[in-house]
Amino acid sequence: MYLYLPVALTSVNILLPVGLGLGVGLLSGLFGVGGGFLMTPLLIMLGIPSTVAAATDSNQIVAASTSGTYAHWKLGNVDFKMGIYLLVGGFTGGMVGVQLMKFLKAMGNADFVIKMTYILMLGIVGIYMLIESIQSMKKKEAAVSAKPAGQSKFGAILQRLPMQTRFEKSGVTHSLILPIFFGWFVGVLAAIMGVGGGFLMVPVMVYILRMPMHVVVGTSLFQILFTCIEVTFLQSYTNHTVDFTLAVLLLVGSTLGAQVGAVFGRKLKADQLKVLLAIIVLVVTVKIVFDVTLEPSMLLGMGGGH
Amino acid sequence: MNTTFKAIVLTAAVIVLASFSMAIEASAELTAKANHDHITIDSFYHGSEVSVRGICDPDVELVVKITSPEAHQTLKQKGKVGGFLWMNVGTLKIENTPNLYMLRATKDMGKLMASDESEKYIIGYPALSKHAELSPVADGSEKDKWFGEYVKFKENSKLFESTDGGFTFGDSGGKHTYYMKFAWPYQAPPGDYLVTVYAVKGGKVVEQATSKVQVEQVGVVKYLAGMAKNNGALYGIFSILAALGAGFGVGLVFKKGGGAH
Repeated sequence: MYLYLPVALTSVNILLPVGLGLGVGLLSGLFGVGGGFLMTPLLIMLGIPSTVAAATDSNQIVAASTSGTYAHWKLGNVDFKMGIYLLVGGFTGGMVGVQLMKFLKAMGNADFVIKMTYILMLGIVGIYMLIESIQSMKKKEAAVSAKPAGQSKFGAILQRLPMQTRFEKSGVTHSLILPIFFGWFVGVLAAIMGVGGGFLMVPVMVYILRMPMHVVVGTSLFQILFTCIEVTFLQSYTNHTVDFTLAVLLLVGSTLGAQVGAVFGRKLKADQLKVLLAIIVLVVTVKIVFDVTLEPSMLLGMGGGH
Repeated sequence: MNTTFKAIVLTAAVIVLASFSMAIEASAELTAKANHDHITIDSFYHGSEVSVRGICDPDVELVVKITSPEAHQTLKQKGKVGGFLWMNVGTLKIENTPNLYMLRATKDMGKLMASDESEKYIIGYPALSKHAELSPVADGSEKDKWFGEYVKFKENSKLFESTDGGFTFGDSGGKHTYYMKFAWPYQAPPGDYLVTVYAVKGGKVVEQATSKVQVEQVGVVKYLAGMAKNNGALYGIFSILAALGAGFGVGLVFKKGGGAH
C-alpha cells in the first residue's frame, strides 16, 4: 500500500519506512544511537529530498528515543545527572557548530570538511572501539578479573580537575567540566556533520567518562531525545521540512524496534555490544568512502544534503 | 464619397482575408481534450494517468507536449576534488525551463521537423536546451554537458520524458480521431500544467490546440502541507508531542522492556 507524503511531495510503499524504522529503532535501543547516520541516506534512496529526510528523521528519533529511554529507565540504566550535563555542553556546542558551518559555507569548502569529518570521526571511533573491545574480550577469557582501573596519565589529570562530583548511577566520580566539555565537543561535530552524534557520544561515555556500557546506552538515548526535540522544532519552524506522515510511518517501526533492542541488549555482554556497534560504524565508513571515490551515476542532485 | 468607397474596399478586403484564414484552419482541424483535467492528491495518491484525445486531419503527424510553467531551478553539481574525491562543488542555476516536460510524438522527433521549427515551439530536448539558460557554464559544449546531466536528473525523477509512438487513431462521425496517454508521475508537484497538441505537416507545425491539467492537494494532505508551510511552530510542537506520545505509549504497552524480564 502506498501513502502520499505532503511535505516530501512523493509517494512511498508504507512497508519500506515501517521496516526501516524497525531496523534503525532496534539499533537505537541496543546501542543508544539515534541512527541518523543510517536512516537519512536510506530515506534519500527512497526518493525523499535530503532536507526532508534529515528533518523528519529527527522527528522520528524523538519517538524512538522516548521509547528507548523509557525502557532503559525501567531497567535502571539512565544516569539523568550525567545526561543533563552532557546536554548543557551539547546544546552550546551545537550552536557553535552551526556558526562554524555558516563560516565554512561562506568559504566554499563546507562539503569537503563535512565529508572528511564524517570519514575521520567514524573511522577512528569504529577502529578504536573494535580493537579495544576485542582485546577486552580476550583478556576476560584469560582471566575473569576486575575491570582495569584505567588510571593512565590522562586519567590522573582528569581526576585533578576542580568541581569533582559523584555520578551515583554510573558509579563514577568526575569533574563537572568533563561531561560539559565533551558534550560541547560532540555538539560541535554533530552540527557540522548534520547528525545527532550518538555514535560519538557513546564512545565518549564509555572510554572517557568510563561509564558502564548499559548505563551509557540509556543515558545516550535520554540525551538524544532532547537534542532531537530541539532539532525537530527548529526544522519545522525555520525550514518547514518535517514530514509528519513519514515520521509516523517511521516511528511505528522504530518505537517497537527500540523496545526490542533494549530487551535484546540485556542478553548481550558490554563487549559484544561494542564490537557490534564498531562493525556497524565501520561498514558505514566504508560506504561513505565508496560514495566519495566512485564516480556518481548523476552529476546533479538536490541541494541541502551531503 | 471618396472616403465611403475606401471604407467599403477595406471592409471587403478584411472579409476576404478572414474567410481565407478560416479556410486554412478548416483544412487543418485539430482539437485536444485531456481526460483528467483535475488530478487530486489525497493520502493514497500514487500518480495518475493523463490521456489526450481529439480530432485531427488524417494526413498530419502529432506531437503532444505537457509542461509546467517555466521556473528558476537550482541543483548541486558534483565534481572531482583533489583528483579522486567526488563531492558537491557548486550550484547550477537553470532558467527558462519547466519543472515538468513530457513529450510524445507519432514518429521519431528528429525526422518530424527541422531544428528551426522545433526551436520555435520548443519541441524536443535539443530545442529546450537552446531555450534554457544555464549558469555557470563557460561555453556551448559545457552547456550541452550540463543540460544532458539535467535531463538525466529530471528523467530519473520521472518529470521529463520524450518518446514516440503509442497513439491510436480511429473514426468517429466521419472525423479522424486520435488518442494517447501519459503515465502521470506522483513526483509532479501540485500546480497547473499545459497540454499542447501540435499537428505537423511537411515539416511544419500547421495547427495547435491546448488543454489544461490541474493538480491539487486535497483533504489531510492539503491540511498537513498547509500547516507545515504556514504554521511551522505549531506544526513542530504537534509533531514533537505526537512522537513523545507514541514513544511513551509503546513503552507502556511493551511491558517486556521493563523490569518484568
